[in-house]
Amino acid sequence: MPAVTSAKAVFSSDHPLPWLFPLIAMLVVFTIYPLIYNIWLSFHEYAPFRRELEYVGTDNWVALWNDERFWGSLSVTLTYFVVVLIIELVLGMAIALLLDADLAGFGVMRGLLTLTLVIPPAITGMMFLLIQDAEFGVLTWVLEQVGVLDGTAPILSTPSTALLGVMLADIWQWTPFMVLIFLAGLRGLPGEPYEAAMLDGASGWQIFRRITLPQLSKVIAIAVLLRGIDLFRMFDYVFVMTSGGPGTATYTLSLYAWQQTFSFIKWGYGATISLVSLVLILVIANLFIWIAKVRW
Amino acid sequence: MATVAYRNIVKSYGAVRVMEDLSLDIADGEFAVLLGPSGCGKTTLLRMTAGLETVTGGDLLIDGARMNEVHPRDRDIAMVFQNYALYPTMPVWENIGFSLEVRKLPKAEIRKKVEAAAAVLNLTDYLDRYPRELSGGQRQRVAMGRAMVREAKVFLFDEPLSNLDAKLRAQMRMEIRQLHDRLETTTIYVTHDQIEAMTMADKIVLMKGGRIEQVGTPDDLFDAPASLYAADFIGTPAINLIEGAVVDGAFKSAGIHLPLPPGTAATAGQRVTAGLRPSDMTLGAAGSITGRVVLAEKTGVEQNVHLDIGGADFVVTAPRDVSVRPDETVQADIPPQKIHLFDSASGARL
Repeated sequence: MPAVTSAKAVFSSDHPLPWLFPLIAMLVVFTIYPLIYNIWLSFHEYAPFRRELEYVGTDNWVALWNDERFWGSLSVTLTYFVVVLIIELVLGMAIALLLDADLAGFGVMRGLLTLTLVIPPAITGMMFLLIQDAEFGVLTWVLEQVGVLDGTAPILSTPSTALLGVMLADIWQWTPFMVLIFLAGLRGLPGEPYEAAMLDGASGWQIFRRITLPQLSKVIAIAVLLRGIDLFRMFDYVFVMTSGGPGTATYTLSLYAWQQTFSFIKWGYGATISLVSLVLILVIANLFIWIAKVRW
Repeated sequence: MATVAYRNIVKSYGAVRVMEDLSLDIADGEFAVLLGPSGCGKTTLLRMTAGLETVTGGDLLIDGARMNEVHPRDRDIAMVFQNYALYPTMPVWENIGFSLEVRKLPKAEIRKKVEAAAAVLNLTDYLDRYPRELSGGQRQRVAMGRAMVREAKVFLFDEPLSNLDAKLRAQMRMEIRQLHDRLETTTIYVTHDQIEAMTMADKIVLMKGGRIEQVGTPDDLFDAPASLYAADFIGTPAINLIEGAVVDGAFKSAGIHLPLPPGTAATAGQRVTAGLRPSDMTLGAAGSITGRVVLAEKTGVEQNVHLDIGGADFVVTAPRDVSVRPDETVQADIPPQKIHLFDSASGARL
């Protein structure tokens, strides 16, 4: 029948558009429209008394540039991003190299690693809130016993240590993710170059630096990219553990955007902060992708 | 340069013993080829020499020093792997110079040695390329360059030509042998290809089931195979093997009567197998073997004529200008001294 023939013709590999339509539709609804709306919103602000959005031009962008709290949040976010990323990267690689040795019991340990990943970050935040509690937290007690803390400055209530306390939860939860990715990368490496390097007289460190690390560069770039994006928009841990405090010591960009949008009902300003986050994430992500484009 | 000696070597994987009481001496500057089919233990022996496999029992000696527990990096051995094992993230010149870099040689000296090796191996134009940008033959040469700059005591080759096409294999065979003649480094070369062994070796070590079947020069193995296995493994086309018995001072089988080779230890009535190399035989109007022509395979320089003798396939190598037709009955002959006789039960040469 002609109708059937025509449907067949449309849904053939010669016409890609019908196949791409569902994906394009989802992208438009869930990504492109919200992005455009966000950009539009950044040039408007909610007027509570008139209960409507009014055009404010570049006011939000100018205000952002002069907002000390924004720069403070950006500084906290970047500090969190750099410190946690480096620690998770180094620790993840070290544990992956260890587990790659395939000693007895390591198989079970590899399985256990996935457990931290299935816990919701908010729950992890609660766990570490309790662990670092000033009165009955296990970590607080241990650190007091070894003389690091003296009982006068609780970890999460002291500006100089609060961010470290939050970082601890992130590192505990997400280092295993790095381990799993690096382990998969290590398992995929051919064995013969290692044997050749041994015969060439290379030490363990030389083999790691010159053979393993360069071969893992793409895997590392992907891991850093995925974690980097997550770290940049970190919200859950600070929301649960410190609410950005003490003072603004743990205010990240995401938390600041949330506060401006939902606590202060400054939708336009919140959208502006989010857009800056987005641009920064895009810049950093593309930097990693560029670094990962190794020639070999 | 160095001597390599294996004394009563044993190798086990758990409860499985794959090598038993193997002893062998390789002289200083010798090109020794470990030859045998898959699973015969030749690569295991090579990897034990390199230190990539542990030695379960016995002694491995390099220049008289026991090496069993010495780390691979301290054995002063260079190895070319079957899949080349190049460092994928390093360009050619770094691949070749890596062993010198880890020994902290000055950069200028490394560059000089790398360039010298590259010139010998025709790799000068490829020094900045990465392994994935090279052909199989070029990769093979990089692997050899890596071994060359080491100036190691011993070179090990693990089936290095098995991934190359026939033409390149022939070329690389020659290059490896020329390299050995130039450097005179003791070389142990593993292959399952008897042509590689015959064309390159000073000494062939024929292996079977984790033990040595025969050691000798290529001529020794071709002209005086120590066993049926050795006779069958060496030679292209393969040797013709005919089962029969010693009767009235001659070898007799269905349709074949041959004189015994001079000096044979065969006794009357003994079940024996005669081995006749196709290249030692001649086709003619008269001969002790009569057969029907099945096929004549022209190889270019000569032809392999397949004869049907009592239902068995029998090959005779003849000059290309000898005219034979399918189903034609022909005669073949062989000088008595070219006949190899083996005990059928033990396979030992008589």
